[in-house]
Amino acid sequence: MRAFESVHPAAAFAYFISVLLVAMFTAHPVLLCEALLGAVLFCAILSAKGFWKNMASYVPLFAIIALSNPLFSHNGVTMLFFLNGNPVTLEAVLYGADIAVMLIAVIYWFQCYSFVMTSDKFLYLFGKAIPKLSLVLSMALRFIPLFKAQLIRVNRAQKAMGLYSGKSFTDKLRSAGRVLLALITWSLENAVETGDSMRARGYGLHGRSHFALFRFTGRDGVLLGISAALTGLTLTGRALGGADFAFYPRITGISTAPLSLAVYLAFGALTLLPFIIETEESLKWTYFVSKI
Amino acid sequence: MNNKIKKLLRYSILLLAIPAVILPGVTVFKDRQYAFISLAVVLLACVPFFLSFERRKGNGKLLILIAVMAALSSLGRFVFAAVPGFKPVTALVVITAIYFGAEAGFMTGALSALVSNFYFGQGPWTPFQMFSWGLLGLIAGLLAGKLRGSRTLLLLYGVLAGAAYSLMMDTWSTLWMDGTFSLARYAAYVAASLPWMAIYAASNVVFLLIFGKAIGQILERLKYKYGIGEQLDERGADDCDRLQ
Repeated sequence: MRAFESVHPAAAFAYFISVLLVAMFTAHPVLLCEALLGAVLFCAILSAKGFWKNMASYVPLFAIIALSNPLFSHNGVTMLFFLNGNPVTLEAVLYGADIAVMLIAVIYWFQCYSFVMTSDKFLYLFGKAIPKLSLVLSMALRFIPLFKAQLIRVNRAQKAMGLYSGKSFTDKLRSAGRVLLALITWSLENAVETGDSMRARGYGLHGRSHFALFRFTGRDGVLLGISAALTGLTLTGRALGGADFAFYPRITGISTAPLSLAVYLAFGALTLLPFIIETEESLKWTYFVSKI
Repeated sequence: MNNKIKKLLRYSILLLAIPAVILPGVTVFKDRQYAFISLAVVLLACVPFFLSFERRKGNGKLLILIAVMAALSSLGRFVFAAVPGFKPVTALVVITAIYFGAEAGFMTGALSALVSNFYFGQGPWTPFQMFSWGLLGLIAGLLAGKLRGSRTLLLLYGVLAGAAYSLMMDTWSTLWMDGTFSLARYAAYVAASLPWMAIYAASNVVFLLIFGKAIGQILERLKYKYGIGEQLDERGADDCDRLQ
C-alpha cells in the first residue's frame, strides 16, 4: 500500500483532474517536461513493472509522432532539408516532439490514475450523484471477469463435445460465434437473476446506508488545499500569458520573466507532489525500521 | 407544468455551459484551445443522455441489460485483441439499440467505451470514443424499425458506422495534434486510416451477419420472458423503481 493510495478519493480525484487539466491542454515545453517527469517518477513508485512495460511501447510511439509531424506540417521558417519536394522544418520536428512528450505524459498520468483511483473509489465518489449510472458501471466492471471465466468454461465444454473446430478460418469463426452466443444467453439470464436477487435484498430502498472505509482527514484537506492553490496559480499565470509559447513560424524562447518562473515553479511542485509524499513516507519507514 | 420548467432550465443550463466552456478555453488554454474545447463539448454532449437516463423511471432491468451489453462488447475487444481493429463493439451496440431503443443504444455505446478503456487504457480519447459509439447506437435506435426489417439496410448501416467511427476518431487526432483543425492533416489522417476504416466496416458486417439475427432472437426472448424495456403498467413500473 503506497501512501497516495490511502488518500481520500475526493482529494486524489481532484489532484489528478488538476494535473491533467494543465498537462493535456498546454504546448509549453517546460510544463510538459515537468508533467512527464512527475508522472514517470510517480508511476515508477506505484508499479515498476507497469513503468518498464510502458517505456518499451511508448518510446517508439514518441519517435513516430515526432518524426511524422514534419510530413504533415510545413510551417516554420528554419528549413532542414527537402523531402519529396516538401520542406522539412526544425519547428515542425520540435513541435512533433513536444506533442509526443504531452501524449506520453498524459498516458502515464492516466496510468497512475487507474492505479490509485480504483473503481470502488470512483463509485464511492459518484454513487450518490449518479446512482443509476454508477450501478451500471460497477455491474459492467464486475461482469467482465465473470464473463471471461464463463467464456473459458463454455469453450472447454464445446471442445469436449467435439463441436469446436479450428481447421479453417470460417470454421474457427463459426465455433467462436457459437461460444459467444452461449455466453450471451448465459450472461443475460444470469444478470437478470442478479437483479432479482438485489431487489429481494432491498437494493436502493430508502434509508439503506452504504459501507465505506474512507475518511476525510486533515491530511487530505491539506493535500486538497495545496493542489488547488498550485493549480489556481498555474492557470492564472497561463491566462495572464506567463506560459505562452509558439512553435510557428519561429520558435519563441522560453520566457524567464518572474510570472513565467512562478508558473513553472507552481506546476513543477504540483506534479512532484505524489513523489514528495511517497519519498517522505518511505524515509519515515526506513527511519522507524532503523530504530527497532 | 412545474416539471416542464425544470426540464427547460436543465437544458438551458447545458446550452449556457457550452459557451461557458469556450470562454475560459480561449483565454486560459490559448495554444491548446481546440483540444480543450472539443474535449469539453464532447463531454457536455453526453450529459443530457446520462441525465435523462438517470431520471427515467422504471428501467431497472434495462439497466442490467445495458451493463451486460457493455461488458460483453468490452470482452469482445479482448477476445479479438489479436486482430487489431476487428472488434464487435459497434455491432453489439447497434443490435442493442435496435431491440431496446435509441437511449439504450447510446448508453451501451458510451459505457462500452468507458468500461473497456479501464483495461485498454483511459486517455483523452475516451470521451470521443464514448460519444462516437454512443451516437452510432443512438442513430441505430432511431432507425430501428427500418434496420430490423431489412438485412441489407442493417449491413449498410454497419459499413457506414465503421466509416463514421473512423472519421470521428480522425477528427479527434487532428484536433489533438495541431491545436487547430488543419484540413491537410485531416486528409492525411483519413488517408492513413483507410485500411482501418475498411477493417471496422468489415468487422461490423461480419458480426452483424453472423450474430445479428441470433442475438436478436435472444434479446426478443428475454424481452418476452422478463419484460425488459417494455412499456410497463403502473404496478410493474413501481416494482422496477424499487430496484433503483
